[in-house]
Amino acid sequence: MIEAANVSVHIGRKRILSAVGFSAEPGQVTAIVGPNGSGKSTLIKALCGDLSYEGSITFNGRELAKLQPAEAAGMRAVLPQSITLSFPYTVREVVRLGLLRGCSGALDGQDEHLPERALAKVDLAGFAGRFYQELSGGEQQRVQLARVLCQVWTPVLEGRPRYLLLDEPVSSLDIKHQLLVMRIARDFAERGGGVVAVLHDLNLMAAFADRVLVMEKGRSVAQGKPAEVMRDELLSEVFECPLKVGAVPPGSTLFVLPQAAV
Amino acid sequence: MFSAQMVSPRSLAKAPEGDRSARARLVLAVLALALLFVAALSIATGASDASALGVIQGWFHQSGEATLSDRDRLIVYDIRLPRIVLGILVGAGLAVSGALMQGLFRNPLADPGIVGVSAGAGLGAIAMIVLGGTALQPLAAILGIYALPLAAFAGGLAATLILYRVATRRGQTSIATMLLAGIALAALAGALSGILIYVADDRQLRDLTFWQLGSLGGATWAKIFAAGPIILATLAATPFFARGLDSLALGEPSARHLGVPVQRLKMFTILSVAAATGAAVAVSGGIGFIGIVVPHLLRLLIGPGNRYLLPASALLGASLLLLADAVSRTVVAPAELPIGIVTAVFGAPFFFWVLLRRRGILDL
Repeated sequence: MIEAANVSVHIGRKRILSAVGFSAEPGQVTAIVGPNGSGKSTLIKALCGDLSYEGSITFNGRELAKLQPAEAAGMRAVLPQSITLSFPYTVREVVRLGLLRGCSGALDGQDEHLPERALAKVDLAGFAGRFYQELSGGEQQRVQLARVLCQVWTPVLEGRPRYLLLDEPVSSLDIKHQLLVMRIARDFAERGGGVVAVLHDLNLMAAFADRVLVMEKGRSVAQGKPAEVMRDELLSEVFECPLKVGAVPPGSTLFVLPQAAV
Repeated sequence: MFSAQMVSPRSLAKAPEGDRSARARLVLAVLALALLFVAALSIATGASDASALGVIQGWFHQSGEATLSDRDRLIVYDIRLPRIVLGILVGAGLAVSGALMQGLFRNPLADPGIVGVSAGAGLGAIAMIVLGGTALQPLAAILGIYALPLAAFAGGLAATLILYRVATRRGQTSIATMLLAGIALAALAGALSGILIYVADDRQLRDLTFWQLGSLGGATWAKIFAAGPIILATLAATPFFARGLDSLALGEPSARHLGVPVQRLKMFTILSVAAATGAAVAVSGGIGFIGIVVPHLLRLLIGPGNRYLLPASALLGASLLLLADAVSRTVVAPAELPIGIVTAVFGAPFFFWVLLRRRGILDL
């Protein structure tokens, strides 16, 4: 399990995160939502170890700041928002970087086949020989997801759950691939791993997340199941616009329609 | 090293799509053969008519020594051979330095010569030549034959560190800042070198002039023993950070997420660049463009994966420098054109071509 307690982050003199508490259980997809500038990306960067923080962040009980890069690589993989390359690597060469530390957890001798399998998973079968630089933004994002999946191919290794940290994983994808990527995240969680994802789309969150953290101005304002935090007044206040939560039929997955609130 | 199975057509056909390692191994084998061929050619030809056939025979028959006259043996073993060995070391060192810098800066235009690292190394070498008898005398006495390469290493290291500090913010290197900082660094190193040259005496001036022209002409076994270990140690270390450099192409955060100790990787890379460039500059002066031409050509051929790019750069860099040296020895024979001029004549237009090709992406 990932546990963050009292996490604060300063960039320069500006305080970006104030005493955020947060936990993500294995077996669940945990979403982080909130308006622009609310500190979602800062929180996930702190979880990735990219920013220095005050407070405590632990992965399976181990303090993040004390993990060596190689150890951390075996416990979690990180999908950033976008990556540009200045050298002409092929798609396969990029995906293969996920196997750098050899912690995929796949059976002996299977690592060589993982790039193709991961690419098939993200609907890019046959793209292995293409040049990464020549792909569209959405295709590049899925190539990076395939790389990330290779790193933690088995969601549980030696009895310990592993984690996917996804920073806006669907930001440049069409609807088909948004659903595909969210299903990959769900599947990872159902096989025992943990997923933390920054999401902008409240409807995708409602459909795929088990738990959700709502952030506003660097603080955590609500945590719980989607049904618990998806309340008209909370969402309208946090996102500063009138929003209406509905469910058709009643009791099924919730959705948010801005036009319903006008 | 290259088993037949590794490069057989069958393994080529079996390689998964997008996996260029089989092709890269084939290219490595061809480059190794090409280097042997170029080296053999260089040793067999020159201003003197020392018998090429005799040399080759001397290699293959232990008793073949007898076919070489004393004069020929002197020419081959004390003039041509040191020059070839030095050319291989310098060419490999410069090309690998270029490839390493390009990986470190995530930028195909980084080159020790272009961004001022060679100028920094040159300043270190000039300081040792000029002040070695006075201010730096104790240091020169302790270091012996290593004084010059180590001084160049220190200069190159200082330049690389400054460049990296200036051009890189939060793991992102600005291409424009890097090139401009390189110009400023080279100008500063040039100015300081100018001051040193101004205070140099006549004997030092002669040493400096020969050194600055950029030449393998003064190759001696002593120079090889001074620079060789440093360059060879760098080459031997590169396999250990090849894959780390590949992951660095994704950016520093992603490299760390993949389990790479990024700070250590960067430090080792900077030290290696400074060591190899420093040693090469100390013994051969200003030979430019090898570091940008060689890795660029190889990326077109085998891709940017550093596992094969680094050794391939060493092999092709060595071959190209030997070829350039052959041109410099023969084009105005019996005189010699400084090799730095030859590499610049071919390298500078090549640099232009790279710039033009990338103009759209560069966004300066």
